[in-house]
Amino acid sequence: MGGEKQWVGLAYVAPYVIGLLVFTAIPFGASFYLSFTDYPLLSAPIWVGLQNYIELIFHDRTFHRALQVTMTYVFITVPLKLTFALAIAYVLNYKLKFIGFFRTAYYVPSILGGSVAIAVLWRYIFADIGLVNMIITGLGFEAINFFGDPRYALFTITLLRVWQFGSAMVIFLAALQSIPAHVYEAAAIDGANKAQTFFFITLPLITPVIFFNLILQMVEAFQEFNGPFIITDGTGAPLRSTYLVPLYIYDKAFRQFDMGYASAIAWILFAIIMVLTLIAFWSSRHWVYYAGDKRS
Amino acid sequence: MKNTITLATAAALMLTTAMTSAQAADLRVSWWGGDARHAATQQALEVCGDIHGHNISPEFTGFDGHLERLTTQLAGRTSPDLMQVNWPWLPLFSPDGTGLADLNEFSDIIDLSQWDQALLDTGMRNGALNGLPVSITGRVLFYNADTYAEAGVEPPATWDDMIAAAETFKSELGDSYFPFSASRYNAMLLVSLYATQQTGVGFIDPETNEVNWDQATLAEAINFYQSLVDAGAIKSWETDAAMGNPGLHERGDWAAGEIGSSYEWDTTVSQIAGPWGEDHPLIPVMPPRVEGAVSDGIFRKPSMMFAISASSPNQEAAAEILNCLMLEEEGVRIMESHRGIPAAASAVALLEQEGLIDANVKAANDLVLAADTPPASPYFEDPAVRTAFEGVLEEYAYGLLSAEDAAAEIIRGTEQALRRVQ
Repeated sequence: MGGEKQWVGLAYVAPYVIGLLVFTAIPFGASFYLSFTDYPLLSAPIWVGLQNYIELIFHDRTFHRALQVTMTYVFITVPLKLTFALAIAYVLNYKLKFIGFFRTAYYVPSILGGSVAIAVLWRYIFADIGLVNMIITGLGFEAINFFGDPRYALFTITLLRVWQFGSAMVIFLAALQSIPAHVYEAAAIDGANKAQTFFFITLPLITPVIFFNLILQMVEAFQEFNGPFIITDGTGAPLRSTYLVPLYIYDKAFRQFDMGYASAIAWILFAIIMVLTLIAFWSSRHWVYYAGDKRS
Repeated sequence: MKNTITLATAAALMLTTAMTSAQAADLRVSWWGGDARHAATQQALEVCGDIHGHNISPEFTGFDGHLERLTTQLAGRTSPDLMQVNWPWLPLFSPDGTGLADLNEFSDIIDLSQWDQALLDTGMRNGALNGLPVSITGRVLFYNADTYAEAGVEPPATWDDMIAAAETFKSELGDSYFPFSASRYNAMLLVSLYATQQTGVGFIDPETNEVNWDQATLAEAINFYQSLVDAGAIKSWETDAAMGNPGLHERGDWAAGEIGSSYEWDTTVSQIAGPWGEDHPLIPVMPPRVEGAVSDGIFRKPSMMFAISASSPNQEAAAEILNCLMLEEEGVRIMESHRGIPAAASAVALLEQEGLIDANVKAANDLVLAADTPPASPYFEDPAVRTAFEGVLEEYAYGLLSAEDAAAEIIRGTEQALRRVQ
């Protein structure tokens, strides 16, 4: 392709490229520069070198606490969400009556899940006189202080994330449906029961999709903001037990107007996500099986 | 010749008009508030826009997130021409007085003589008048007259009375009843109220911007907070948080009358009386005093200000609208007391004359104005200072720190925050 046609092609991709540059690439680069500055937003940034990073890594107790909470949150949420999504997808893969309706119904939480309205609703459901405590006390147990007790507070926002299992479920469902029927028939002829079929046929065959969902959900979980922000008024209460790193970035950037420091936190978070993703890719060689793979 | 003279006269008149009145401009005006304020301000802007020939686009939100929005706009030089700002935001937006327009330059448009000089001074930054105070606000105790009557208790005049009331509340009404409420920011204000009553000075000196209290004073105030919890006068931080931190007016215990009183802004009476409507049982009084108090200690400050963007190309037009909203009869009548009792003398006189001031707001505001209390520092509400104070107080409330350690940590964190914001 050359001459005029080449320009037409470029014109077609231009909106995307411009959008990528203006809204992603330039801010990405700018935030890296700003992470080495003291930038109070309303005055010019001043170069401070590695000071923000040194403060963050060696002295900032709030950051250490936020990182610890975020790690706990991610390591609980991601496996729980993937397990739940896979279990529901497995059930929805059966040829049941009204299966189309059920598939839609189970996907709905994903559409509503991250919204402000649902986070507000969550606050009422888990309040001392909310639905969950009504059920707990109705069963004869003592009410749980979900928002005031640091042992339980993280549980509420974890559950809010797990509840949004729909998108992972749809991807699992597509993977389950792509497994050829003859594989199951062969297993049945060999006398495999349902558990053996699931663990030795189904699971290995969908490992590429599990891996894809794992990376996707992990990256999303590290960036979680809406739920804890709304449920705790942005404070990460009680005792910062729900104070995820993105809340700290927001606090520093938009409440304390310390954009340079906030950028440094964002880059450390980026580095952590990058390292964990690379570890996941490295480990995938041992547990993910692709079609045509020599090990298959 | 006659035509020439007529033309010359017309031209001179036009020139005079142009000198005293800004040309028709497209203006953006922003504020935060509730529905009633939104409706009144939109209507007032429409009327003022018509009077002065400007086209006005209103931009309004709730309070949450407004600071973040405005700061981002100011940083991007896309802020509205005329904006409502919170008093503690002035040092953030205009540390050296140049971040916002100097309203002194528009004294031919805005009649600044309608404000007390002391009040105007609260809007000054480095000699520039960056914000024009709309009203003065402060915290008073709103008590639920029905609940107190049911318990057979008079509103407490001293903190000892409050502790005694707790016992009566429990015995007469039940364990779920508390004569007072203070958690999170209100707990911070309670500690501050107690220490200010004892010392006669606020937490941060508004002149020097340094912490006024020593560790022992602050520790005693923190211990006082705990003594109210221990006596059952207020719910513990942890118990209070179980509700999911809703606003006071959204709380079931408040609506049910189980909370006897709360230390709130004078202007919020219509909001916190929400569960009862117009016929509410809330009565504003001065908060209880500590024995030997040297001041009432309440938190009093300019409630909000109007400011003009330093980057606005239509500053004169914005000044005309500002004057219309705050001083011209048409604007003042519509704005009423939706931003509290106006600070401008002519505006308050007009509203009083026409009976347009909300009696509830007036009663609470009279208490605020009459209080003997030291001037507040705008830095007291700085987000970093608030985080340092409230966060440590929470750790104390959960038993992770002693009062002495909490006091030392609050002072250290505040001093660090003050160094940065200055």
